[in-house]
Amino acid sequence: MTLVRSELLKIRTTSTWWIFGLISLALWALTLFFNWLQTEALAGGDFGEVPADQSDQLQAVSAADNLAANLYTNGQFFGLLIVLLLGIVVVTSEFFHQTVTTTFLTAPHRSAVMLAKLVAAGVLALLFWLVTTVLNLVTAPLILNSVDVGSQLGSGAIWRAIALNGLAYLLWSVLGVGLGVLIRSQIGATVTGILFYLGGAIGAVIVLSLLASRYGDWINKLQLLVPSLASGLMVGGDTDIPGNPPQWAGALVLIGYAVVAGAIGVATIRKRDIS
Amino acid sequence: MMSDGQPRPSAGTGQITVSGLTKQYKNVRAVDNLSFTVEPGRVTGFLGPNGAGKTTTLRMLLNLVTPSAGTATVGGSRYADLPDPLRTVGAVLEASSAHKGRTGINHLRVICAAAGLPKERADEALALVGLSPAAKRKFKGYSLGMKQRLGIAAAMLGNPQVLILDEPANGLDPEGIRWMRGFLKGLAAEGRTVLVSSHLLSEMQLLADDVVIIAAGKLIRQGPVDQVMASMTHGVRVRVRTPQADDLAAVLREQAATVDADPNGALLVSGVDAPTVGRVALAAKVELHELTTERPDLEGVFLELTAGKAEIR
Repeated sequence: MTLVRSELLKIRTTSTWWIFGLISLALWALTLFFNWLQTEALAGGDFGEVPADQSDQLQAVSAADNLAANLYTNGQFFGLLIVLLLGIVVVTSEFFHQTVTTTFLTAPHRSAVMLAKLVAAGVLALLFWLVTTVLNLVTAPLILNSVDVGSQLGSGAIWRAIALNGLAYLLWSVLGVGLGVLIRSQIGATVTGILFYLGGAIGAVIVLSLLASRYGDWINKLQLLVPSLASGLMVGGDTDIPGNPPQWAGALVLIGYAVVAGAIGVATIRKRDIS
Repeated sequence: MMSDGQPRPSAGTGQITVSGLTKQYKNVRAVDNLSFTVEPGRVTGFLGPNGAGKTTTLRMLLNLVTPSAGTATVGGSRYADLPDPLRTVGAVLEASSAHKGRTGINHLRVICAAAGLPKERADEALALVGLSPAAKRKFKGYSLGMKQRLGIAAAMLGNPQVLILDEPANGLDPEGIRWMRGFLKGLAAEGRTVLVSSHLLSEMQLLADDVVIIAAGKLIRQGPVDQVMASMTHGVRVRVRTPQADDLAAVLREQAATVDADPNGALLVSGVDAPTVGRVALAAKVELHELTTERPDLEGVFLELTAGKAEIR
């Protein structure tokens, strides 16, 4: 517990957290704007001629539940990236500033230090989630009411989406800590993290759909194994989007990645020579 | 000079024992079957040329580097087994080890929080090293000397029985070095164990009571500074200046002394002590202008001991 307090103090006594906070606030506002436009378009419901195989999907995403869930988890796309980077920085800044020597002198039990870092990064991630969620709870009803969908706050699905969003913030921060241990260089880990996240979301879809068109549709199911897509699936609305795997599968995949990253991180740091 | 008096008795004897310590890297044996002890109540200089394995040894002692073989203990325990490491051992390993954007006082508070020490200790430790005025300045604005003092403050947070410093004089100005010397001597006088690594020999001669000399990862010599110096082949010499150099040299050689002339015209006499030289000169009615006992300095001893062993590895 003393170690967790120390890790939180480390975060509090540098400027990283509020710089990251300001950036995510700006990105939150940006995504809110786009989600607002999207919600208006979808709620309007006039899409003209839509091919039959796509109309199911369109109907699913424009259901009131999904529209609302999307708004109540607004800011998630960049928010998860931010907490991933925070998790990375919690570890790599120790190597960058050579404070890791002092840290391990103070607490020679390195697994305990790493667990404290995981907890501290998780606490910070949940704080980011909390602030975003409060902002969303203010703004989303305004938008939903403006398109005559209603706030949907009575729906259990909405609250579940909000909770799963929190879980996603938590898990991505854990992934960040694991990545930070594996790649100690601050710049290296940050770049890898960004590629891992954005590349996962955009690149993997392109690659997999190319492969699928060549080797068969089953390859599209591998999308589930891409962390950012699994995360997106996990926090999706109540109605499963047709043709895609169930929500819980996304959660399992992401938890799996987080556990593996955390465990590898702890195991690696235990034996490493600090010089 | 300590604000909080004697080290706590719970810290045990505070003796450092290194036994058969070895670190094998891929191609290099950085530390090779090294054994020595460091006693409390004394300042021990840990000497060796650059690359001799000093830092690796200290890092193995502090559980930062895993030894390939052998053990290193403080008061009989391995560092990792100490129940309260910061209250037993304080270490200053590199001056530049704080987050550049964190203030000095916050750097210490972070350590206090992790070690379960009250955060007031951070203020006390800063005052101890005379850094209170810079408490709220960020680390990146610190001079090298201030960074070194902050490192010492961090090491003193737990009021430890044992203090370990790796090259603390690096980058310090003469005033800083003098401060450090007084500070460390004061700690040893309180009964603490002080182990200081350095390649600055002149500094060690003024500071250390004992020395441990290593080269190429191996122990060369250990003991009290004067004993190590006295054991050298270049023993004590007597410098004499006289207008009748030839006469004096002749009578001294009769006493089985070795006499050489130095370039400035003085005589360097070994094999007899200064009173003997004076007595012989008086008996021979030779006029003396200077009579000094010359001891070899640690630097000479050190260069002689480590000669040929400091090759680049």
